[in-house]
Formats: sequence, C-alpha cells, structure tokens
Amino acid sequence: MSSRKSIEKPLPSVVENIEEWPIYVTYKNKEEFLNKVKKHVLQHSSWLNKEPDTLRNELKKILYQEKIRLTKTPWKSDDPKEKLFWSGIKKQIRNQKPIENRGDTQEVDEAILNEILDYYTDKMVANFKPSTFKFTQKALPFVYSRLINSFPRILSKIFSSVDKLYDRMKITGDIDHIRKLQEMGTVVIVPTHYSNLDSPTIGLSLNNLGLSAFTYGAGINLFTIKTLSKFMHNLGAYKVDRRRKHRLYIETLKAYSTVALTENVNSLFYPGGSRSKTGKLEEKLKLGLLGTVIDAQRINLVENGGKKIFIIPVTLNYHYVLEAKKLIESHLKNMGKENYLEDENTNSFGLIKRTYKVITSNPGMTVSFAPAMDVFGNRVDENGESFCKIGNKVEVADYFKLNGEIERNVQRDSQYTQILGERILEEFRENTVVLSSNLVAFVAFQIIRKRFSQFSVFEILSLPKDETTISELEFKNVMERIKDRLIKLDKEHKILLSEDIDLNPQELMTAGIQKVGSSHPKYVLKNKKGEISTQSMKLLYYYHNKLTGYGLEEYV
Amino acid sequence: MQKVGVIGTGNFGLALANLLSINREVLIYARREEIAEKINTTREHKGQVISEKVVAISDFEEITRECKLIFPIVPSSNFKEMLVQLRPFLTPEHILIHGTKGLHIESDINVVEELQRHEVLTMSELILKETSVVRVGCIAGPNLAKELSDKQVGGTVVASRYNDVITEGKKALHSSIFRVYGSNEVMGVEIASVLKNYIAIAAGMLEGLGYGDNSKALLITRGMAEMIFFGKAFGADEKAFMGLAGIGDLMATCNSKLSRNFRVGYFLAQGKKPEEILADLNEVAEGIKTIKVVHLLRHYKFNSPLADALHKVIYEDWDIEKGLSYVMNLPVRDDTDFFNTNA
Repeated sequence: MSSRKSIEKPLPSVVENIEEWPIYVTYKNKEEFLNKVKKHVLQHSSWLNKEPDTLRNELKKILYQEKIRLTKTPWKSDDPKEKLFWSGIKKQIRNQKPIENRGDTQEVDEAILNEILDYYTDKMVANFKPSTFKFTQKALPFVYSRLINSFPRILSKIFSSVDKLYDRMKITGDIDHIRKLQEMGTVVIVPTHYSNLDSPTIGLSLNNLGLSAFTYGAGINLFTIKTLSKFMHNLGAYKVDRRRKHRLYIETLKAYSTVALTENVNSLFYPGGSRSKTGKLEEKLKLGLLGTVIDAQRINLVENGGKKIFIIPVTLNYHYVLEAKKLIESHLKNMGKENYLEDENTNSFGLIKRTYKVITSNPGMTVSFAPAMDVFGNRVDENGESFCKIGNKVEVADYFKLNGEIERNVQRDSQYTQILGERILEEFRENTVVLSSNLVAFVAFQIIRKRFSQFSVFEILSLPKDETTISELEFKNVMERIKDRLIKLDKEHKILLSEDIDLNPQELMTAGIQKVGSSHPKYVLKNKKGEISTQSMKLLYYYHNKLTGYGLEEYV
Repeated sequence: MQKVGVIGTGNFGLALANLLSINREVLIYARREEIAEKINTTREHKGQVISEKVVAISDFEEITRECKLIFPIVPSSNFKEMLVQLRPFLTPEHILIHGTKGLHIESDINVVEELQRHEVLTMSELILKETSVVRVGCIAGPNLAKELSDKQVGGTVVASRYNDVITEGKKALHSSIFRVYGSNEVMGVEIASVLKNYIAIAAGMLEGLGYGDNSKALLITRGMAEMIFFGKAFGADEKAFMGLAGIGDLMATCNSKLSRNFRVGYFLAQGKKPEEILADLNEVAEGIKTIKVVHLLRHYKFNSPLADALHKVIYEDWDIEKGLSYVMNLPVRDDTDFFNTNA
C-alpha cells in the first residue's frame, strides 16, 4: 500500500488558490469560528450545571487560579491589561446577591462565564494571512539553507544552497498518498519532538509536500517578540498558556482544536507534549488535544457528510541537537518529576538564537512521514478507506455506533484516544530513520555500559575518561553486529535506515563519529589513533537513547 | 429491541442464553446444525430446558447481522478457531462479551520450556488481536451453569474498558433473579476467573482427602493471594480479585461438586488418573491447562506455591499428600501480603 520516496524539491500546492484553503476561510470568518468554539464548550461542559451553585463555584475557582497565576508565575508575554480584566470579573461576582436568590444570579453568572470565554478565545485565536504565508514560503528555504550551510560558502553560492539543503534534510514518506488524502479530508500531523528546530523543519517539510497550511498550538512564551509573534499568529499559530490549568480553559482549548478540525483545517500537534529530554523516542503521549481528533471525526460523521480525518505521524531525527545538554541534564536532575522546560527563558528571541545556532552547524536531519491512519489507528488506502490490522475494511462510523446510532460518549472516546496514542507510538518506532550518528553513539555507550554492567546509569555517566576509551577494533566489531540487526529490523519494517548506514565499516564509523552532536563545545565522540573516546558521557547517553527500545542491547 | 447473540452451546452458554431471554430475544449459535435443530424442536439440550425466546442457528453471518451484542462462550482451546470463522462478519460496531475462563497460548505448551508474556493471551486480548472489534468485555463470577439453569438467584460481573459495554451487558442480562455488576478491571477479572480453576482443583483434592472447612478456608484465602500475585505480574489491579470474579467465584467453585475443576481434584484424591477423569467429564476442565501455563510462566518470579505443588502432583507424579506437605512447609508470609506494592 505504501511507497516511500524522498522529496528533491518543493511540490506545487494541492489546492493552488490560497483563498480556498480551509485555514484561510476559517480565520477570515473568525467571529463565526469563535462562536462555534464557545457553543461547543457550553454544550459539552456538563460539570458547569450539575448543581445549582456549581457555576458560581466554578467562576470563583477560575478567578482564584487566574489570580495565583498572575502573581506567582507572571511572564513578560502576559497582557498588561489582564489584571484589570480579572478585577472586573471579581467585582461582578462580589456585587451579586447571595446564591439563594438563584433567579437573580444565574443569568448574571452565565454572562460572566461568557465574558471569560470571550476573553480566552480572543487570546487564543490564530490568524492566517496569505501574504505572510507566501513571504515565508519564499524566504524560508533560503534562510534555512543559508543557515544550514557554513557562512563563507553561502556568501559565494547563495542560490545553489537551496539545492544543497535537501542533501542534508531528507524528507521521506508516501508523499503522493498524503497529497491525495488532503483532497479527501483533513490532515493531522503528529511529529516527534526533540528540538526547537522541529517547528521550522516541519513547516518547511509540509510546505514542500504542497499541503494547505496547518494550524497549531504554540506556547505563549514563544510570543514575546512582537514581530515574530505577529508572524506566527498570521501563520495559524493559536496561543496555548500551559500555566492555566482550570478545566474551563482546557475545555476551551480542546473545543478550539475540535472546531478547527471540523472546519477542515489541517492541524499539527506534538503528542509528546514537550521536547524529549532523554533523546529517546516518546514512550508516553499527552492525550488531551489528541483526543479532539476523535470527537471531530464523530461530528464530521453527523454534520459534515462524514469527512474523514487522517493522522500522519512524523519522526524527526538530527545528528546534532543544540539543546541536548540542557535537556539531558534537566532529565537527570528531575528523574521521575515532570516539569516543562518552556519557562520564560525559552522566549522567542532565545528561540531564534538557538535555531540559528542549531542549523548553522547541523550536519543533517531526517523528516520521515509514516503511513496515514484514520483516527482509530487503522491504515488508510489511496481512497481514504480504512483497513483494520487484520486487513478487513472498516467504517469509522461503526466505532461510534451503539444500537445503530452514532453517539457521543466521552468515556469511550478516551479509550479510543489511548488506542490512537499507542498506534502513533508504534509508527514512531517503525518510522524512525537511523542515522550514522545514532548508531555510533549507541555502540559506544553500550560498550561502556557492558564494561561496567554492575553500575547504575548515574555511575556510568560519571566515569572518568580513561575508563571509557574504546579501541577501534572492539568498536567496529560491535557496530557490525548492531548494524546487521538493524538491517534485519529494517527488512521486518520495524525501523528505517538512512543511506549512510550502507557505508563500509570504516566510512560508517568515521561519518558517525564526525556527525554525532558535531557542534557541542565538548566532543561527543572522537577517534584519535584508533582510540575512540568521549568528553561528555551525558551527551553520548542522550544520542545513544534514540536506539533504545529496539532490543539491540543483547547484540553488544 | 435488538436480539442478543450467544456463541456456544455448552452448559454455561445455554444457561446464559436462558438468562438473556428474560429481557431479549436470543440467537444461540451451535456449530453443528443437528444440535441447532434439536434445540429448536425439543427446547431441551444437555439437560437444560431452553426458553422459547432462544432460537438456535448455525450461521455466523446471520448472528452478526442480527445481533450487535454477542456473548462468545467457547472453550479457550477452540476460541481462536471460532474467531477466525466469525471475524469476516464482525465490525467495530459489534460488542463482544466473552465468558470463557481460560487463556489462549500461542505456543504448544507440551513442547516449550517456558512461555513469554506475549504468547499468553486472555480472551479479550485475543479478540482484539484477531478481529476488528474494539468494544470487548468479559463476564465472570460465581456462575455454576446448573444453578443458573435452575433459575436460582445469583449475580455476575461484566468487565470492560468501555462503560457502554458494561451498560449494554447489564441491560441485556440484569433481572430480578440475576444481578449484574460492572467493573473496568478487565485484566483482573479475566485472570481471576482463569486462575480460580486450579484453586478449585486443589479444593476438590482437600475434600477428596477428607479435610474440613478450616483447611478449605486456608486454601481459598491463600489461593486468592496467589491469584493476585500472578495478576499483578500481568499488570492487573488487585481490586477485581475482591469482587464476584475473584473471591465470589472462588467460594462457589471451591465448595461445589458442580464445578468440573473441583471434581477433577476430588477424583484425583480418590486415586483416579487425570486422563481417566478428563475422559469421564466430557467437558473441558480449564484448570489442568492453567497449572501448566502458570508453571511455564514462573520465570516472571511471582509467588505461586499452590500452582507449583499442583504441577508436581499432576505433571510430575507426586502424591497429593506430598504436594500438600510441600505447601505446608513453605516459609510463612504476611497475612495480607498481596496488598504490598512489590508482592
């Protein structure tokens, strides 16, 4: 069913006229869109009116949590007028008569709720400006390819650099199929997440596929520089404030995503939530926003002639991740604790700086599109028809039916979301493209680990350099065994191999060692006179982690 | 209202069809046409009177077309074969609630020296693997077929990840003589209903040897602990073992000569050989197979003294008294050690 190929140059848009793109149409009629979002929240938040005084209590809770957020975790990106807004809400709540006179307050409470909803959706909503999009479309490959090549070369060969870009950035997948699916339904892209470079990488890849633009949620900490903020806003980025944990906000966010999907707007989620701190493939997904694809599919069946939503997992892999050190150190410090790295220090200026640094020195990356699936994780054929794992054709409507009727059922759908999440993880594993740098890092770390098999990971990470040096001979022996196993896994469709894995052992080892984390101040691996060593066990561990979970350890 | 389907005309399948017929019209699938015909004409099979609202058929296509809620009640050894024949007609709209108290093993247990977790499937795992059905559940509890068919009051548990499966199961089955409880702990309920079979064999042995109620109470309590240890190793929550499928079913099967597994133990204690007993029983005693399966999984290092002893008696020719002495001389653990997180 699937025929993988790589893109050599950008393909023409599937829908040529930008003004026909659902993202354009939807955000052009913003008011109508936001009304649908608000209606969706009110319709499906049954917790708002279970008890007579629930609404009043909920409003108080929202107010309390927002005040805590404003005083305890204020960010520069916060709207300076926000305090005023919440003071206004507070006054309105306080001025109301006691709850016993429900006849008087219910109506007012509903008005306050609507006011908050207006505020949330207004802060959240994205825009789509064709002029900004066209500008980015033209500029990004040049900027990107300039950055990805070294400076002196760029100055001499500005125009040839775009062609070179695709030597280093390998975009592979069943491209024709994905383009065809876009004509039949809504495309949802779910990528792995390693680096701040992921978004520009994905953006460029999707544009090269010729797909209509995608809407996506971006943390408000990325909106601190006015120009960039406007730019992202006009390219379909809606603002997500992860500090707001109140369920009304969460429901609004979900409703936003659901309604955008039912309006046929292509969407992008990072289902892992934040960047992988260990360098490992995602092992667990955050299912909140992902679940909206299931609700949207159900709504499409009832209201939109059954328009289908297609899920396409994408795996990204880099020889070099600039944030690797910070990520792995944060992971080691917080083992077992959950925290977001996207604090205010990760502002948009920092992002530009980092992105710039990462790509100026990146020896290459892969973007691998997995085969498309429906919202239940079933593969879809060229006509968008679903086929379950045993090969039977299945109808998505059947998943929602009870006694012949399509029904909304939150509990059932949460189970379906888990199934979809598991399928995405499976596709992530099977569509990871192994780079030479992953292989050498894996080999080196595992040799050391085996040498000190009784040590914990922490102890191994603090070994002195002379304990971690590996002879070239030992290295190559293990590398060959792992490579053989990888070739077998590739044949069984359990992983993908990049071209450089085909190199002979000497070239493969040299290429991998040269490329792995190539621009960190400390070298990740170095081969000096047949002795392979590292200056940073932590980074070696980070890059090695990409190949864990495939059972390769027993071949060391 | 839609008809409900039952697959399998064993004692439990027939009893369940009768219970379902209190609320719904029922189609029961019989593999052999002559059995279907016999049921439809004589309204009697295997000593049970069959309700007028139960119609027997031998056509998988028809049962899947007429019924979206189906109860497969087929021995574990035939379950996969049944699914393979049934699956061309199944869709994600179907709800399957199985009542099979056994495991499906992907390898030949008479050949392999150990089993891996992925080779051992509960029936709901097998349904998910082999068909396009997603809404799967199981029914388990103290449900001795004979008592059900005599219309004695009783209860059961329907377990599923999906609340609508539980609700549909209840709507079809709950009545003034039969209470249906719900649970989301599918794995626990399935494991409990499988493992209790060999505890029942041990109970039969104790009875056969003339031991009394104290001995049996010790067996049942520690049997439940052993079920929990195994369940935890399989990723189940201990809660389900405290419910109808766990302690409930243990109390019924470990005290009843109606239980096939109990009878196997009883006759073994009377000096009969396993082959002889199984030939006489005419129906499957899942417990015998379960003992072997637990034995082949012991490398997962859960605590299973009863299964170990039973394996020695049934597969290694130990005397029952020697097996009993083996268990009685093991070190003593905490009374409620199964609540410990690392138990």
